[in-house]
Amino acid sequence: MNKVKRTWNINGERREAEIPPVRRFLDVLREDLDLKGTKEGCGEGECGACTVIVDGEPVLSCMLPAGQVPDSAEVTTVEGLEKTPGGRLLQAAYAEKGAAQCGFCIPGMIVSSYAMLSRDPDMDPGRIREAHAGNICRCTGYEKIVEAIQSAAEQWPAEAKG
Amino acid sequence: MSTVTAKTFDDVACAFPATLQEALELMADEKTRGRPLAGGTDLMVQWESGVLEMPERAVSVKHLSELRNIEETDGEVMIGASVTHMGIRRSPLTQKYLPSLVDAAATIGGFQIQTMGTIGGSVANASPAGDLAPSLMITDGTVVVASVRGEREVPVTKFWTGYRKIDLEPDELIVRFRLPKMPDGHREAWRKLGPRQAQAISKVMGSCRGHVANGVVKSFRVAIGSIAPTCVRLYDVEKWVEGKKLDEAVLAEAEQRTSDGINPIADIRSTAEYRKWVTGRIVRGFLEQLAG
Ligand SMILES: Cc1cc2nc3c(=O)[nH]c(=O)nc-3n(C[C@H](O)[C@H](O)[C@@H](O)COP(=O)(O)OP(=O)(O)OC[C@H]3O[C@@H](n4cnc5c(N)ncnc54)[C@H](O)[C@@H]3O)c2cc1C
Ligand code: FES
Ligand code: FES
Repeated sequence: MNKVKRTWNINGERREAEIPPVRRFLDVLREDLDLKGTKEGCGEGECGACTVIVDGEPVLSCMLPAGQVPDSAEVTTVEGLEKTPGGRLLQAAYAEKGAAQCGFCIPGMIVSSYAMLSRDPDMDPGRIREAHAGNICRCTGYEKIVEAIQSAAEQWPAEAKG
Repeated sequence: MSTVTAKTFDDVACAFPATLQEALELMADEKTRGRPLAGGTDLMVQWESGVLEMPERAVSVKHLSELRNIEETDGEVMIGASVTHMGIRRSPLTQKYLPSLVDAAATIGGFQIQTMGTIGGSVANASPAGDLAPSLMITDGTVVVASVRGEREVPVTKFWTGYRKIDLEPDELIVRFRLPKMPDGHREAWRKLGPRQAQAISKVMGSCRGHVANGVVKSFRVAIGSIAPTCVRLYDVEKWVEGKKLDEAVLAEAEQRTSDGINPIADIRSTAEYRKWVTGRIVRGFLEQLAG
């Protein structure tokens, strides 16, 4: 049988999956694990809508073979953000600054923000833009998004580091 | 032997060998051999789009601990094949001794592509637009490949044998890169010109390593990508400029010789004339940077 078993810690919950090893992690999250918050935009690595965090690093779930997500990996998807102080802060900042228009890019965008700030809550706009260069937004021109991230960075909780 | 070709990602089997030795044993036998799969940032797109047929089997090499380190010896930095672009950016060793490789890695895709994509995948993919190639070529380093038959070293400058072709046998894997450190007093530079800075398949990009003392070129190595089926070293220009004092006349002639000496491809991304002109400008800029 062309299947592998994996156990992951997704948004703080232990989840098991038995899946074809090269099935896209995006499909495993959305279909096998019913986590539909992660979106598919282009399906070829260009847009960032499908961004999730695996062991601290932002990755594109549309080009990640699920079998390559190792056993006991820590995974954060957009659904997990509201469970963390930093994630809640980011969501509030995005809303307050009016950073979303159509909203399609936002799940991936905010996951990238969370990955970046968890590593280093730096407020430099150049660095923020670089860390979000893999997330395409067709609506907003990024100004409001950068402002939202800066505002979240200013208040970034010490316990949310790492 | 099966003639049935897998059609979807779900049909592709994948092995996750526990060690490099195990991976090489899988590659040694036609019945267990599979397409090496590192970050998947090229393969997943090529399989989905049909540029490459979905294989029956893949062999994951991304997780192999033997391929994930960056280490140093006296004269060299060794980078494992499965080190990611982000890993190259973050390592103090590459930052210190291979600065143009770090700069090149920083221009690949966005952060997500950099945390997924690997140096081994980039080199094996062998796109003429692969951004790491010039910085590897100017080190005069080697690619170390392995099979159950043992290890073999190939100069980086000889590893790409033609358009999307590499010097690798079907049972071999790339295991690491041995890259001579930038010597004291030397400098490196990286330049990428494309429609957009990041996220772009480059039109022309290049790297140089060299040493200019009192205005005289002591050593100069330069490699340019995206102008030919493989990345190329500009040996003629290197040789011509070495020993010369960098005045305006020499800079102008180096630029001219560069443009005249290459025979670039024209494709949808850029014309041959533009590539000749811009490559000359890049080489001139490199010499000015080394002098400055
Ligand atoms: C959105 C996007 C943007 C990109 N932007 C850039 C860019 O700006 N610049 C750039 O240069 N590239 C870019 N790329 C291309 C790609 O990211 C790189 O070529 C590189 O990171 C591929 O590495 P990988 O580990 O993902 O390779 P994979 O897709 O896993 O493999 C690529 C090839 O290498 C082979 N392979 C992998 N490891 C080994 C090994 N150890 N031994 C033998 N063969 C091996 C595979 O069989 C395959 O043929 C981009 C890709 C995407 C999707
Ligand atoms: S859907 Fe993954 S990058 Fe666009
Ligand atoms: S808000 Fe519409 S794509 Fe970003």
